[in-house]
Order: sequence, then structure tokens, then C-alpha cells
Amino acid sequence: MEMVLQISAFVFVVFGTFMSIIGVIGFIRMPDVYTRLHATGKVSAFGLVFLLMAAAILIPLNIWKTLLLIFFVLMASPSVAHTIASAAYRSKTPIVGKRDDLAARLGAQKIHSSEKPVSVDD
Amino acid sequence: MENALTITIWVVLVIHLLMALAAVWKVLRGENPAARLAGLDLFSTLTIAILIIIAIVSDSSLHIDLAIAAAALGYLTTIVLAKYISDQKVF
Repeated sequence: MEMVLQISAFVFVVFGTFMSIIGVIGFIRMPDVYTRLHATGKVSAFGLVFLLMAAAILIPLNIWKTLLLIFFVLMASPSVAHTIASAAYRSKTPIVGKRDDLAARLGAQKIHSSEKPVSVDD
Repeated sequence: MENALTITIWVVLVIHLLMALAAVWKVLRGENPAARLAGLDLFSTLTIAILIIIAIVSDSSLHIDLAIAAAALGYLTTIVLAKYISDQKVF
């Protein structure tokens, strides 16, 4: 039983670090704020949560603190990503790509090119 | 097995420190404020991860408390800075 817990903690640490590396590579190489936020979501949702699960196994005295932190991270990370994306859009950060559905919804001008907004109403 | 786990955790700590360095580089060299803010959010996430790894290495309860505090502070800081970028004022 001890051995099984150790091996699962090992697997959790390695998988979490793998996902964090993927997220940071995406964060460096993506062209745009909005796509970068997609990559950084992986770091907190997979990398940090799997690392915390390994910590819950390896430090069993503090398991409630660790589970609380998992809950808090899973609550906080999507709302933070949404807030940064909203702030980027409203401060007119340029978009790499064609499609801008929010401009059609808001009736605002597209901020990345001179094309007409794509209609999404139908 | 114990030895392999210890070596792996030290290697993981070094990898996370390098990734935090990359996030700081993106904060300093970002092309617009929102990109820098995304880098700051990534850096606060990696700070929590580094504190958790240090807690595993040193088997201590203190660093998990510090990680909880860092999570709360990073969340609030990111939300407030995003509101500032969006509206050019905080309140």
C-alpha cells in the first residue's frame, strides 16, 4: 500500500510537470494574448492540481490544507483567465485571426482589421 | 524508490524555477499590458507550484500555508490589475 501511494505520487509529479512544461511552451510561442491565456490555463488546471495531489499523498498530515488549495485553484483559475481576456478585449488588444464574434454582439468596431463583423445572430 | 522520488522532485523544482524565469522574461518584454498581465498570472501560479515542491522536499507545513497565502494574493492582484487595464482606473 505504501509502495502504491509512492508510485502514484511519482506519476502525479511527473504528469503535472509535463503539463506545466507544455503550458509554458505554449505561453512563449503563441502569437496573441487570447491564445496565450488558453495555454496558461493548462499550467494551473493540470500542472498545479496534479502537483497538489502528489503533495496530499506525500504529506498526509496537511491533506485538508492541500485539498482546500486544490478547490481554491480550480475556482480561481477560470475566472482569472476570463477577467484577463475581457480586460484585453476592452483595452483593444489586437487579435491575430479572422473571427471576432463579440464585436458583432456589442455592435462595436472590430479591433483587428477593417472587415465587416461576422454576424452570429442566426 | 525513495531515492528516485527525491531526485525527481529536485529536478522538477529546477524545471519550475526555469519556467518562472521565462514568465518573468515575458512580463518584462511583453508587447502590450494584457500580455504582461497574463505573464504575471503565470508567474503567480508557478510561485504556488514552487512553494508546494519546497513543502514536499522539506516535509513542512509552513510552505503549504505560504502557498495558500500566495494563491489568495495572486488572485486579488490579477483581478485588480485587469480592472485597471480595462478601465484605466481601479475603483
